[in-house]
Amino acid sequence: MKKLALALVVTMASSLCAMAAADVAKSPPAAPYQQVSKLVKLPDFLPGMGQLFVDPAKLPAGPFLAYDHDGKLVSTIYMLPIKDLNPDKRFDNLAAPGGNVDHVDVYYNAGHPGVEVPHAHVVLWHVSVADEARVAK
Amino acid sequence: MTLTRREMLGAGGGLAAALSLFPLTAWASEVVDIRMQGRDDGSHVWFDPIGILIKPGQTIRWTNLNPGNSHTTTAYNPANFERPLRIPKAAKPWDSDYLLPNESFSVTFTEQGVYDYYCIPHEHAGMVGRIIVGEPEAHGWPQLAGANGDLPEEALKAFPTIEDIMTKGIVRRA
Repeated sequence: MKKLALALVVTMASSLCAMAAADVAKSPPAAPYQQVSKLVKLPDFLPGMGQLFVDPAKLPAGPFLAYDHDGKLVSTIYMLPIKDLNPDKRFDNLAAPGGNVDHVDVYYNAGHPGVEVPHAHVVLWHVSVADEARVAK
Repeated sequence: MTLTRREMLGAGGGLAAALSLFPLTAWASEVVDIRMQGRDDGSHVWFDPIGILIKPGQTIRWTNLNPGNSHTTTAYNPANFERPLRIPKAAKPWDSDYLLPNESFSVTFTEQGVYDYYCIPHEHAGMVGRIIVGEPEAHGWPQLAGANGDLPEEALKAFPTIEDIMTKGIVRRA
């Protein structure tokens, strides 16, 4: 009986994750996500990242959802100010609605409108390394 | 290409005395271009050149050549977000607001002296620049800079020296 209950819980959790991923799989994601280029003056499509959406209440960390030219989700990006990576600050329970992660990139960014300080991009890619080319330009 | 342009006119001076000091590089054209640039991944951003010597009456045109980012050219002046004064007192401050890729912004300089400016989202990454018009003023802000408020360390480290600009005319980042 316990095994059956556990299986049911796991199945339901998987279904919920799949539903959440489905909600954001195509551009534009539902509210509260908003198009970054309409919130701040940035190019609508950022080479290397794609078209970004974010819940403004979740700035600066995000998540930012990044889409390719066909409106398909390619990555979930967190932007963590370098000055906040210290013993007194934590980033806990950041949402991760994008589903399966193929690989992760972490790199320094000097800043841009919306996150105007040097920060780290933590990129959860939902596509293969080869498919990163979909947002290269 | 979208072109935004604002001209800043102040009271010029010392032109005749300064003429003999200028290198040919910045004299070749009335409009001097400064490029706003960055690496594709946003890890480095910079003005090119970072330091330049011009003559009074010349125009500087900044153009954003960074396809993945927006930049500003913003004078250090209390009128701009209460930043410290780092341009001649008699000169008018400027702020381009955000320039998208391929957008430009121009300022004509007539007031002699040293002008420091920065990019709003990238000041903390050291994206600053310095313009000298004619020559440094005799008792200008550079003598008082220590008392004019703090700038991020990365910005302070990035400025080329006045001596270097006066000697070379054009200074690019190392």
